[in-house]
Amino acid sequence: MHHPRSRRVLIAAFAASMLVATACTSGTPNTSASPSAAASATETPQDGGRIISGSISDIATMQPILVNDTASGEVAGLLYAVLISADPKTGEPKPNLATFSASSDGLTYTFEIDPKANWSDGKPIIGQDYLTGVLAVGKSAKTVRKSSFTTIQGFQDWVDGKADTISGIKIDSSNPKKFTVTLTKVTCPALLQIANNSYTLPTQVFGKYVTKASKPEDIDNAPENVNPQVVSGPFTFSEWRKGDQVILKKNPNYFKGAPHVDEYVFKVVANTAAITAGLKTGEITYSTIAARDLADMQTVDTVKIQKYSSLGYTFIGWDTQSNAAGAALSDKRVRQALAYGIDMDAVIKSVVFGEAIAHVAHHVPVQWAYPSDQSALNPYKFDKNKAQQLLTDAGWTKGSDGILQKDGKKFTMTISTNSGNTERETLAQVAADQYKQLGIDAKAAPEAFQGLVTKLTSGDKTLDATIIGWSLGTEPDPYQIWHSSQIPDPAKNVTGFGFTYFKSADMDKAIEEARTPSNGDCSTAARKKQYDTFNKILNDEQPYNFGYVPNVLATAQKSLQGWNPQPFSTLYNVEQWWIKK
Amino acid sequence: MRTFILRRLIYAIPTLIGVSIITFAIIRLSPGDPIRLYTFGARDITQEDIEALRHVYGLDKPLPLQYLDWIWRVLHGDFGQSFIYHQDAAQLFIQYIPNTIQLALVALAIQLVVGVPLGVVAALKRGTWVDNVVRVFGVAGHAIPSFWLGLVMIIVFAVQLRWLPSQGILTVGADQWDILDRIKHMLMPAVVLSLTGIAQYSRILRTETLDVLGQDFVRTAHAKGLRERTVIFVHALRNALIPVVTALGGILAGLIGGALVIEQVFSWPGIGRFTFAAAIAKDYPIIEAGTMISATLLIISYLLRDIAYAIVDPRIKAA
Repeated sequence: MHHPRSRRVLIAAFAASMLVATACTSGTPNTSASPSAAASATETPQDGGRIISGSISDIATMQPILVNDTASGEVAGLLYAVLISADPKTGEPKPNLATFSASSDGLTYTFEIDPKANWSDGKPIIGQDYLTGVLAVGKSAKTVRKSSFTTIQGFQDWVDGKADTISGIKIDSSNPKKFTVTLTKVTCPALLQIANNSYTLPTQVFGKYVTKASKPEDIDNAPENVNPQVVSGPFTFSEWRKGDQVILKKNPNYFKGAPHVDEYVFKVVANTAAITAGLKTGEITYSTIAARDLADMQTVDTVKIQKYSSLGYTFIGWDTQSNAAGAALSDKRVRQALAYGIDMDAVIKSVVFGEAIAHVAHHVPVQWAYPSDQSALNPYKFDKNKAQQLLTDAGWTKGSDGILQKDGKKFTMTISTNSGNTERETLAQVAADQYKQLGIDAKAAPEAFQGLVTKLTSGDKTLDATIIGWSLGTEPDPYQIWHSSQIPDPAKNVTGFGFTYFKSADMDKAIEEARTPSNGDCSTAARKKQYDTFNKILNDEQPYNFGYVPNVLATAQKSLQGWNPQPFSTLYNVEQWWIKK
Repeated sequence: MRTFILRRLIYAIPTLIGVSIITFAIIRLSPGDPIRLYTFGARDITQEDIEALRHVYGLDKPLPLQYLDWIWRVLHGDFGQSFIYHQDAAQLFIQYIPNTIQLALVALAIQLVVGVPLGVVAALKRGTWVDNVVRVFGVAGHAIPSFWLGLVMIIVFAVQLRWLPSQGILTVGADQWDILDRIKHMLMPAVVLSLTGIAQYSRILRTETLDVLGQDFVRTAHAKGLRERTVIFVHALRNALIPVVTALGGILAGLIGGALVIEQVFSWPGIGRFTFAAAIAKDYPIIEAGTMISATLLIISYLLRDIAYAIVDPRIKAA
C-alpha cells in the first residue's frame, strides 16, 4: 500500500523537473488581474523578512551552464543575472543586465552592460565575463547547452581546441562593458538562446577553469559550482542543506537595487501534499498548487491565489505510422474523428477541475506566436455524429461486437502515459472511455516515465497513442518538436521528439523560414506569419489531439507583497517583493 | 569471539559481491535510458551532444565491461559522479545518512521504551482490558498504513492544531544545532515510524513473558519466596528479552526501509527519499553507491546483533 503512493508523488515530482529550465528573470502576458500588486503599489514597502519558496525537487547545481531542471534554474537565476530578459507578459526580449541592438544584416548583436552593474565582490561586470561563460559552455563535457551557441562564429573551433578564444565574441577596446557577438548565419531564436540565460560568469572566479589548456572536468567539477561566492543576481549564496533547503541572502550590490527581504529560502519538500500543507501553515511563502487542491486552498484565508494560463500543454500524440490499429491513425480523417469524438470540456472538468482551456494547435495563448485569427483554426467542437461520419468515410464500420473494423482488422488502440501522474492517468482513462463509445477498442496503459521517454525518442514503435505534456520555452521556435529532421530513426541512430512520425514539407518550410529566414527578417510579424501557416497545418492534420492548456495556480501568503507571477516569469521583480508585518 | 566475528566478516564478502552484481544488473537492465531521460528537457540538444554525454559517463561500453570498470573504481573508493548533481555519488549519499540514522534511532528508542513494557504489562494482566487494548494496538500497528497515518497526523497536528511543523527537519532560519526545533520536527515521523516496531515488540514480549512465566525456574523462584518484582525483572524478563535482541537486526533494516515511506510523507531529507529520487531519474552512480553503502551498513548491523546475541546466549557462538 505504501509503495504506489510514494511512487506517484515522486514521479510527479520528476516529471515536473523535466520541464525546460529557462533560467531567467523574465515574464509574459497575464490573463488575470492582480489586486495584490495594485494594492501594494500604494503602500510603502517594508524591509526585512524572508521568502520561502516551496519546491518538490532539490537543486542539482548552481553552475548556470550545467543547469538542466527548473529547481536549479530558479536558484541559478536568483544568483546570476541574465543579459536579456523575456518580457514577463509577452516573452519578447528586453534589456536586463545589458542593452542590445542587432546589425542591419541580422548577424551581429551589440550588447552594453549596465554601467552600475557590479559583481557582489565589487568588481564591474564586463564583456569578458560573458565570454568566460560561453568559453565554459564550450569546455564543459556535461552541459546540455552547447547547441545554443553553435551559431556563434568560432565557437566550434574553441570546442575542438583549434582556437585560443571565440572569434565571434569581441570586446570593445575602449569600453569593457560593450561587446559584440557575431553569428555564422541569421538565426531568429539566437538572441534569446545566447543572452536569455545566466551564463555571464565572474571571470575572477571561473576564468582559471576555461583557459585553452583547461580540461572539461575543471569547469564541470569546479567547487564554486556548488558554493558560488561571487554573483550578479538579487541574492547571494549562503548555504545548501541538501534535500532540505538552499539559503540565499540579499545582495546589497544588485544593479537593480537591493531586495526588500533579507533572505530567500528555496525549501525542498517531498510532494504536492506537503506544499499544500506548508502554504496553509505558513511554512511556505509561495508556490504553485495542483488543480485538485484548489477548492481546499480557496477556503484558507491567509493565502491568495493567482491563476494564469501556462506556457505549455498536455496532449495525446498519435503514432501516425502505427500498425497496431490497422494503420488507422495514418488516416487524417481518423485523427480528426478522434478530435471531434472527445468532449474536451468535459475532460477538462473531470481531469483538472475545469482549470484549463481546450487547445487545437501548437502555440499557446500566452505566446506571441499564438494565431491571432482563431477562426482560421478548426475548434473541433465535440460532435459524435461527425466523428462517426469521418470514421465511416475512412472505411471503418462497426462489426457485430460493436467494434469498428476495416478489411477484417479491428480498431484497437492503447493510450500510454507516465504512471504516477494522476492527471494524465485520468485523462488516458477518460479518453479511452470516450473512444470506446465511437466503437474503438481503446484502453489506457500507464507506464514508467523512464521507459516511456526512451521509447518515444528512440523510435521504438510500440506505442499507438501517448499522453504527455510540453513545457514550452520563451522562444516559440518549434523546430525540435515538429521539424521532420527530429523524427526518430533507429536505423540511422537518430533520436528526437518527432514521435508522431508526421511530416509535411509545407510545415518544415514554415518552421525553417521562422527560424532562419531566407530574407533575414526576424521580426515578430514576419515570423508570426510563418507560424500561422504552421499551426494551421497541425490543426488540420491532427498528429496530436492537442488536449488542453492548464492554468498555473500560483499561491502565496497574503503578507507577500509585490508578488505578481506571469506566464514567462515569476521572479522577474523579486527585488521588489516585501513582507507585510 | 574473535573467530566468530572474523568468520562473519568473511561471509560478508560474497554477500557484497552478490549485492553488487544484482544491483548493477537490475539498475542497468530496467527500461529507460538515463541520458535520454536527462536530456529530455534540453530542447536544443543534438544527437552528437547526447552521444558525447554517453561517452563521458562510460555508458557506451558493453555492460560486463561497465561492471568491471565500476567494481574496480568502487574498490578504490570511487563510486563515480552523479549524472544529475555532477558530484561524487558516495559523498552525496553519505551526507544523507545522519538524517536517516537519527530518525531510525529515535524510532528504535520509542519502540523499546513503549513496546517492551506494553508487552510485559499485557502478559502480567493477561485476559484483562489492559491486555485487550495492547493486543488491539498490536494488530492496528501492523495494519495501519504508515503513510496514511502520517498524512492524518500532519492534517491534525500541523495544519489544524498548529502544534508541530508539517514537514522537514528544521524550521527555516533555525540553527543546525537547535535541538528543540529538531525534536519538534522529528516527533511525528519518529512516532509513525516506530509504530510497527511497538506492535511487534509488545506482541513478542507478551508471548515470551507468558511462556517464561509458565516455566519451572520461575515457579521455583516463586517457591523460594522471592518477591514478585524480583521474579519478573531478574528471572523472567531477562529470558524473555532474548527474542527481542534477535528481532533487533531485522528491525533496523525495517526502520531504514520504512524510513523511505516516512521520509516521503514528512519531507525528511534522508537516504530513502534521496535514493528513490535518484532511482526515478535513473542516476546510476547514486543508486549503486546507495545500495552498496546501505548493504554494508546492514551487514554491520546484523553482525552487531549477532555479537549482542552471542553475549546474551552463549549457545549461538557454537552454531
